[in-house]
Amino acid sequence: MSDLKTDFAGDRGDLFSLALRTGVLTVLTLGLYRFWQTTRLRRWYWSAVRPGGVALEYTGTPHEKLMGFLVAVLVLAAYLTLVNLAVMFVAIRLSAGVPDLMTYAVGAAPVALLPIIFLARYRARRYVLSRSTWLGIRFGMDPGAWGYAWRACMYWLLTVVSLGLFWPLKTFQLEKYLTDRSWYGNARFIQLGSGLTLYPLALPFFLGLWGSIAVLVQTGLSGEGTWAWYLFLTVPLALLGGVYFRVASVRAMAGLKELGDGMEFDLAPRTRVLLRIHILGNLLSGVLVSFVSPVILGLVVGALYFTGQVSSDTIFNPPPNLAAVVAVLTWLTVFVLFGVFRQVFVVFPTVRHIAETLVVGEPSLLQGIRQRSRDAGRDAGGFSEALDVGAAF
Amino acid sequence: MPTRTAHDDFANRLATAYGEMLDGVRPALQRVSLRVTGEGRQCELEVKNRQTGVLDYWRVSKLRIVPDQATSDALVLARQEGDPARLIIRDRDTARAVLAACPRIAQLGAARGAWPKIIGLGAAALAAIVAILFLLVPAMADRGAQLVPPEVEVALGADARTRTIAALGATECKGAEGERAIRRMTDRLSVGLDLPYPLTVRVVDDPMVNAFAFAGGHIAIFRGLIDTAETPDEVAAVLAHEIGHVVHRDATRSGLRMVGSFGIAGLIFGDVLGTSGAAGLGERYLRTSYSREAEVAADAFAHRQMERAGLDPGALASFFLRLQAESGQGEAGVLRHFSTHPELLDRVEAVHAAGSGPGMGRAALSTQDWQALRAICR
Repeated sequence: MSDLKTDFAGDRGDLFSLALRTGVLTVLTLGLYRFWQTTRLRRWYWSAVRPGGVALEYTGTPHEKLMGFLVAVLVLAAYLTLVNLAVMFVAIRLSAGVPDLMTYAVGAAPVALLPIIFLARYRARRYVLSRSTWLGIRFGMDPGAWGYAWRACMYWLLTVVSLGLFWPLKTFQLEKYLTDRSWYGNARFIQLGSGLTLYPLALPFFLGLWGSIAVLVQTGLSGEGTWAWYLFLTVPLALLGGVYFRVASVRAMAGLKELGDGMEFDLAPRTRVLLRIHILGNLLSGVLVSFVSPVILGLVVGALYFTGQVSSDTIFNPPPNLAAVVAVLTWLTVFVLFGVFRQVFVVFPTVRHIAETLVVGEPSLLQGIRQRSRDAGRDAGGFSEALDVGAAF
Repeated sequence: MPTRTAHDDFANRLATAYGEMLDGVRPALQRVSLRVTGEGRQCELEVKNRQTGVLDYWRVSKLRIVPDQATSDALVLARQEGDPARLIIRDRDTARAVLAACPRIAQLGAARGAWPKIIGLGAAALAAIVAILFLLVPAMADRGAQLVPPEVEVALGADARTRTIAALGATECKGAEGERAIRRMTDRLSVGLDLPYPLTVRVVDDPMVNAFAFAGGHIAIFRGLIDTAETPDEVAAVLAHEIGHVVHRDATRSGLRMVGSFGIAGLIFGDVLGTSGAAGLGERYLRTSYSREAEVAADAFAHRQMERAGLDPGALASFFLRLQAESGQGEAGVLRHFSTHPELLDRVEAVHAAGSGPGMGRAALSTQDWQALRAICR
């Protein structure tokens, strides 16, 4: 059997209308509808991605997301209260030496949230996988959020302390941790390769980052400002190198994943394409919002004026309450529209580009795969929703 | 009977009624042919594997349409809620015939019985957050404030005072006569108080009509307030109010409350760090509600303490009322807390009505000291 290529079947116009409708409803319900919005957008994207011509399906429901969110709020409120009270107590004890209560507080609580954020990421990925199917077979993930959280904390610490040296190792090990716990039906994914696999891909980034640090140190030591000009070279190199590494590492690791008895994958997103999508897409969204929002508000005010709801005097000298309402409406309009345009001009082309490069090798091995049982997924990604560490949809 | 006709139509189209089935057990598409059997509630979709001839029956009343498809080139049906088996019908006529034969197929994912749970959980989450923010955290902050050593509070307050004054771009007034006058007023107002630290009262050279109490007995009165006051008693009343904050350790308590409530209000909006507008508003509401309670207590204290010092306790009320009448709408400084808490005004009026006629005692400062205080910044 030959390799399976992936189609992306979906139209920007349909997505625009779905994103706009769900965006407006989200604002009208004070954010409550966002669980429906996420669900519907995911269903749409999943049904557009078709490896071997058969669409993926997203089977999550908004109700379970809302319940998971509420459970997460309860748990996190209890956790944050404990942390806050502990910080309060420590601040009182320590402040005998250093009289700066608030500094401790402002610093300590976010640090206490870090492991929870990694925990939330793992659980969110597990939930999404457990609610994705292809050919009627569920994906899934083993429990392991705590193991992921402390490993992520350690690797982050190492990476920061080593000025980035451990970044490729961290990327590989964390992705391996996630991959090795992922399943399609009763077949397990395996991440091949080693911690050194990704180092060649990070060379441009290292050059840029360490070059910048060297320039800063040299400027500080010599006291000559002229050295600082090299930053115009090294800082962009570090940024572009960082983006290249992120895309290239996804590509490299996808090629080294296996499913079951040897099904293979190939994913080939291009850094250049993704950069262009993100820069142009965000720019276009911003420009469109700044053109469309005034037009909409103008139409609303104009309609009110011509139907006799407001007089010209009110428009030019609005009472403070009305001005506040208009300001809120403007902000909401911009918020909704920017979200919609970003879906259409950033998320859509990104997903399409990545999806179209996906190739599944050795598909005949699918024959040996059978269904797995349904994961209850009790918190349904609620932690990442409460902490706002979710993705674009 | 309309369904009958629809079924007949469908049966007539049997020859073209083909689809693909995913059985939810193996990852393979099976070509199937379709037929409707039975009637009404017993109506079933007969799904026949075209290779093996194996028959499967899908109950029509349990069928679900998989919604939000990116393209409309296929109708995707689920066998029932929670079942991974799918029927994919790419042929338009077949899809139309199935929908005609089986009208009102519900969408997949409409969880029945979820709402009572959601409402219960929502109420529990809200109750927990309200209890934490308005009962637990204030109680712990009050206990915690008593544990802070006095010398730490003094250092904290001195730091906050210097920073606040520097942030306003103002300086402290150093007139020696004026300092003595404010000292005398402070001494008179601290009659009967047992404070763990001395009261450090400074006049700040700034036109704002306002006064602040920091931790550890540090108080700042703005020049604008002294300029606006018509009698020393009015300044004394405001000072008594600020001493009330010192006695209640409000600065320390509010700092501890902010630490204790960090991030909790933001959870509801999915935004712990409070960067979004909604979460910011929540945080502000919380702060206002904490300070409202403190202001009421400080007013009550000022009233008692003025009486104890033999001064007119109505001075606070008359001062505020006059300021309000003059500026019309309270926008800055001390007036602000009236515009945000109108119930305080009622209280003040009540105090005023209960009255405090003239001759309650001698004024808060001698004429000479009053002149010195008014000239403290020159």
